[in-house]
Amino acid sequence: MSRLNIVVILMVAVLLGALFSVFTTNSESVVFSRAFAEPGIEFKVSGTLDTDHPVLYDPLMDVAETRFHMQDKEGEVQEVILRKAKPTGLEQSESIDLYGKVVDGEFVATEMLMKCPSKYNEDSHSLAESTPEAG
Amino acid sequence: MDIVYNGEWTWAASLGRLLIALAFAGGLASTIGYTRAVREGQGPWHAMGRWGFRIQAAGIFGASALVYLLIFSHRYEFEYVWKHLNDAMPFSYMLSSFWGGQEGGFLVWMCWILVLAIVFLRRNPGKLEAPVMAIHAGILTGLSSMLLGLWFGDFQFGLDPFLMLREAPQNAGLPWTLNPDYLSLIPQFADGQGLNPLLQNYWMVIHPPTLFLGFASTLMPFAMAVSGLWLVDHKTWMDRAISWAFFGVAILGAGILMGGAWAYEALSFGGFWAWDPVENSSLVPWLVLVAGAHLLLINKSKPGTAITATYLLVSLSFLLVVYSTFLTKSGILGDTSVHSFVDSGILPQLLGFLLGCCALFCTLLLAPGRDRILFGGLQAVMMVGIVVLDPALCVLGLIAVMLAAVLRAHLRHLPRTDKESPLWTREFWMFVGGMLMFASAVHITFQTSLPVLNHFLEPFSAGFERLHQATGSALARKLATHDLAPGTDFDATYHAIQVPLAFLFISITAFTQYLRYGRNPNRQVFFMPLRSLIAAAVLTVVFLLAYDFETWEAPRVALMLACLWSAASNADYIIQVLKGKWDHAGASIAHIGFAMVIFGAVLSNAKKDIVSQNRFGDLAMLNESLSNEEDLLLLEGDTVTMGAYYVMYRERRQEGIHAKFAVDYFNTLPAEYSAGDVVSNEGFVFQCAEDHTASPTFTDDLEDHWTFIPIPNDRQKRQAAPWSAGRPGEHAFTLEPRIQLNERMGNAPEPDTKRYWNRDLYTHIKWGRVSDPEADEDGWMGGRKHDLMRRDSLVIGRSILALDSISAVTMAEKPAQGLLDKDLAVAAHFRLTGNGPDTTFTALYIVRDSLLIPDMVTLEDRGIKVRIDGFRPTEATFETVIWENLSIRRDFIVMQAIVFPQINLLWLGCLIMTTGALMAVRQRRKNQRRRTPAQPSA
Repeated sequence: MSRLNIVVILMVAVLLGALFSVFTTNSESVVFSRAFAEPGIEFKVSGTLDTDHPVLYDPLMDVAETRFHMQDKEGEVQEVILRKAKPTGLEQSESIDLYGKVVDGEFVATEMLMKCPSKYNEDSHSLAESTPEAG
Repeated sequence: MDIVYNGEWTWAASLGRLLIALAFAGGLASTIGYTRAVREGQGPWHAMGRWGFRIQAAGIFGASALVYLLIFSHRYEFEYVWKHLNDAMPFSYMLSSFWGGQEGGFLVWMCWILVLAIVFLRRNPGKLEAPVMAIHAGILTGLSSMLLGLWFGDFQFGLDPFLMLREAPQNAGLPWTLNPDYLSLIPQFADGQGLNPLLQNYWMVIHPPTLFLGFASTLMPFAMAVSGLWLVDHKTWMDRAISWAFFGVAILGAGILMGGAWAYEALSFGGFWAWDPVENSSLVPWLVLVAGAHLLLINKSKPGTAITATYLLVSLSFLLVVYSTFLTKSGILGDTSVHSFVDSGILPQLLGFLLGCCALFCTLLLAPGRDRILFGGLQAVMMVGIVVLDPALCVLGLIAVMLAAVLRAHLRHLPRTDKESPLWTREFWMFVGGMLMFASAVHITFQTSLPVLNHFLEPFSAGFERLHQATGSALARKLATHDLAPGTDFDATYHAIQVPLAFLFISITAFTQYLRYGRNPNRQVFFMPLRSLIAAAVLTVVFLLAYDFETWEAPRVALMLACLWSAASNADYIIQVLKGKWDHAGASIAHIGFAMVIFGAVLSNAKKDIVSQNRFGDLAMLNESLSNEEDLLLLEGDTVTMGAYYVMYRERRQEGIHAKFAVDYFNTLPAEYSAGDVVSNEGFVFQCAEDHTASPTFTDDLEDHWTFIPIPNDRQKRQAAPWSAGRPGEHAFTLEPRIQLNERMGNAPEPDTKRYWNRDLYTHIKWGRVSDPEADEDGWMGGRKHDLMRRDSLVIGRSILALDSISAVTMAEKPAQGLLDKDLAVAAHFRLTGNGPDTTFTALYIVRDSLLIPDMVTLEDRGIKVRIDGFRPTEATFETVIWENLSIRRDFIVMQAIVFPQINLLWLGCLIMTTGALMAVRQRRKNQRRRTPAQPSA
């Protein structure tokens, strides 16, 4: 059925267009130095939570301000301000993607994605320290 | 020297492994037997096939029963039991702990496959028995190999459901493993770890088994399709497979939506679908199955239509289920996705299983003989190459060979229809619809598989880098760094493509039922879908008026129109064409259900309204940057307006592993103001001139009822309450969003939702204390630092602490304060208002000989201690530390509330869709039995 063939070819064309757009729209992540070099431009910075500094969230002060330090892929540690309530599980996160820009010398993020230990994760408590009870 | 351990059920471990080994061996025998039986017919090979299958079934059912026995006997020496069970879990969760881990998941899947196979066998399969059962036995053998738990040096072959904790690699060599009495001595073994609290929910009891049954049901059409290729008979299997395929559509669809319901009820991301790899990889097989099932339908009435596409779609549905298993269980998405997936060590096995199934299918697509040998051989070479050479390159090569095989089969071997049908035929439009759903599936798969794609881009990284240097193309650089990931904006990443596709294929469901097979319809048939379209357009306008839609949302509105059209049109069809013969209405009902699901999903998400907006920042320190409009701060006991209600956070209480926060909701009544009331609005102060009931906006009342006070005196400033149009009325209901205390995963908030028939009020905690804060023996909590300037104020408990003024301590005042002449001191004059009489006090910042002298001011009855730690003269700012006492402390929560409009359409639609699909299956079975009474199909 040549009409069916046309339909299939059209579909493939649409798909290829869609897939190509995938490549060109996905955001790539940058490091802090790049974001600070171009203040006011929105970037995605990926990294991990720096546990040497505390996560500050005081809802009585400002419901939507969470401050913490993040280490980017080059190892640079910066304080960031997230304009949201403290996300659950921030301290346990394994990696963070921040979307924001540098404003007045500070990185202000409007959106954040975290990678948390999986709910499907099967890490059990280590039994390495198990010892029989005395007696 | 072997240690004999006391109290263990070592026999169970041996028995379990034996059962699985039996299943594996029986499966192999069955596969071989049935494979030979395809050619040899009834005879010893066929019998071998049957007996092998019986042994395989006994092995798997037996192993499953044994695992349940271990669970209900609380045998914590077994790693699987220990990980997913503890004594505190009630019966229903004990049932569901079976599928708490991958091993159990595989067993459930296999059990369902066995059940379906047995149903198949009991329905006179005829000549299809041998090939279909050969496939089943082969697939089951492959799956049971995932549970063999064998080790070849460092290489793990399969998981082991009967692994004992002391045998686990991470525990090997630890001292307690050598102790024969470890089971009774070590406290950790008295109880298990228990199912992850996030999973302790009634949905855990029904969602996984339903989903696994859905997955299992994709195997039967696949096996039948492969049988068709094997026997080179393209007709018989298609008739038989229709009921199975639509059964799969019903069950798998229900299972997927159950997952959505679970996420909506128990998780706090504020929705039911997150385009998460686990969700996507079960949606995709469903989409493809629907498309394939409809192509089967076409072939029933018009045999020989789009044979290649039918084979591909029906088989891809199962292959995509295997791919889904690979994606989510192998850990390959691990580092590159923001979601973690387990790496249980069986990635090579899963990959081998997946590629093997695909290769088998592609080989059988071709003509028997040379083509099969050639392409089969090429694929085998590629698979060897994966192991010994570069995996990424050889997988790419394998895929290329498979594509070539499909193409060749389509062009040379599989029959194609030469005649072209008229345009407005049922078969053409069903085919187009199927292709559109397939396109939708491909797009979702592609996005979800980007991390896998990264692995393929790696070998070419250098090449892309050179390309980037030469052309400066950003695309080339992206490919060179090979860390693609799906975008985080769902609208751009998924909806942009999925909404138009859905619009098209849902529109097709609206009119295609009126078309006939093979010929153009009569004129009058055009009217019926047309009048439904008009009705749908009218309804759409109603929705457009009810909700605010912006121009860029046109595709969504079009989709909603298509859903309404499909529902109206299919309803019209039932009434007009079927004349109410419900037996045959299954398909139409299913289409109505599906349209409702999509409509409900689109509307409730596009027009969700975040009603919790923070108004409390007025009293706290204001932060000049963008304010967040999403979350509401609720102090205990305060009644605050939120959306159509007044809300008050009343108390927190502990219930098991949940901290529940009771929030009362009150209806809103118009506020009443009496003469003399002083209010503030937009920073200005007004006094009420006469008694009145407030209008919705202040400016409506301003002229008639309010007197503007341009320069209010101090008393008026303090009395001025913020103006509001409403006041709390009587108590309407109470919601208790909660936080689940989960030591393993961190505390997890869970929502509480008020359901109305036409909307849901969904509330969840963004921040809340789960236990009383730490305080010393007098009840003083830890101090908090604040930088205060003149006129700054803070909320402390139920009071407001304001820094009225700053003054230098004069010489004359120093002795009274206990200061020496040489001390330098600055005084901060504070005022404490609310929850007691207005109190003023002074704290000092004292410097003596360049050292700071601490001056602590304690107000016991107000529960406040203040100390000034620093002073910045240029900014006139004090750095203070303030302690609150538990006695005055007010608990508070940060809550978010979302109104989802018409979300019940989604759940109702799911029920209707499943019912309709099952009705259609039932009707088809009735037809089949009537046509071929008690005789095996030819």
